[in-house]
Amino acid sequence: MRIDSVPPWPEGIEPQVPTEGYAGTFTHTPAVPPIRRPPGRTELTAPRDLAAKLPCGDDNLAVLGHGRMALGQYIHIAGRILDEDARPIAHAVVELWQANAAGRYFHPIDTRDAPLDPDFIGNGRIRTDAEGRFGFFTIRPGAYPVPSKNNWWRPPHVHFSVLGPASLSRLVTQMYFPGDPMNAYDHILNSVPDAAARERLIARQLPPHEVGLGWLGFVHDIVLRGRAATPEQP
Amino acid sequence: MNRALPTSQHTIGPFFPRTYFGPTDHDLRRRTATATPSPRGEAIRIAGRVTRAGGEVCVNALLEAWQADAGGHFDHPADPDAAAADPDFLGWGRAATDAEGRYHFLTLLPGGYVEGNHRRAPHVNLQIMASGLMRPVLTTLFFPGFSAENAADPVLAMVPEGRRGLLLAQAEGDSEGLRCFRFDIRLRGDPAEETPFFVE
Ligand SMILES: [Fe+3]
Repeated sequence: MRIDSVPPWPEGIEPQVPTEGYAGTFTHTPAVPPIRRPPGRTELTAPRDLAAKLPCGDDNLAVLGHGRMALGQYIHIAGRILDEDARPIAHAVVELWQANAAGRYFHPIDTRDAPLDPDFIGNGRIRTDAEGRFGFFTIRPGAYPVPSKNNWWRPPHVHFSVLGPASLSRLVTQMYFPGDPMNAYDHILNSVPDAAARERLIARQLPPHEVGLGWLGFVHDIVLRGRAATPEQP
Repeated sequence: MNRALPTSQHTIGPFFPRTYFGPTDHDLRRRTATATPSPRGEAIRIAGRVTRAGGEVCVNALLEAWQADAGGHFDHPADPDAAAADPDFLGWGRAATDAEGRYHFLTLLPGGYVEGNHRRAPHVNLQIMASGLMRPVLTTLFFPGFSAENAADPVLAMVPEGRRGLLLAQAEGDSEGLRCFRFDIRLRGDPAEETPFFVE
């Protein structure tokens, strides 16, 4: 797939930086505004099949091995990776990572006193199919506190990293759960100024009878920057 | 034509899984983890440190590099000369910063290429993602020893003259037979020292 044009980020979708309540953004966000450059060949290209370099196929985070089920509420997250023409992006690499049911990451620098689950790592990587679809079995992550002075807790969320058809399609984002009362207090979700853009970061829950007995179903589409079609002239 | 609005970016956070870094992911010369590095060009090492406000080091940052092959080609349909691209060179790599904020890549010295009415100087695009960065930052590394090419590069020309030098890697001798280039990234600091970043 080839990206031919790239509209600038629409108003209100990019998070406000530095971000109120999130101290790290005040020490990391560049002080000088970035220079806007027209996308050239380096920006409009990317490896054609990154899955050869980044092995894909871990789509079940809830079952670590035979008979080893993670603690928590079993869920399935399904979605599509799309471009700005709403066309599916085949063979994108989708990475997903999350905390366990107690809100702790299986990561050496997460040293919080919440329990680790020996049967949950919480990292997966897959490649989208020809219709741009992806799916993961996992558990609903727990909320966790952020070390800070302002009693800030992250609501349950899943991190996504997507490597698409162009360098400028590269996306790092997070997915939230519908109806969670903590969503309203999160400094990261609320750094996105546009309410509709925030709403698009929240997955949709499927009615349980459409999913099956074993897990709860969520649907979440992700749109990368770039258009495959040349825009129609008005 | 249907339109869809792009999904908002977020920080990568502090817990990007270490298992996502394979032992050769930082080697742009390999198409797969175990492939032999492409020999078609001059193998080089690019290394540096990532710092934030106050010159403090940035640990666990994720860097991704993307560049043309030694002949200045991309194996991609957007390159009119894609058929001439090196079939063994990937041109993409990923690295994490260590406890001292250091990263490094192995690659081939990229070639320049003609695009439209311009000639692009040899360059490597870098994306940096980290806890505290709500949006990835994008920058482009240029090489010393290409003064005519660098002077004609349209992207470098967009950077205010006094800051262009910050995008120039520094030759730093040899290591294990490879020429080494140093490229430090200052996410935030005195505007005279902060790395110039781009947005598309
Ligand atoms: Fe998180």
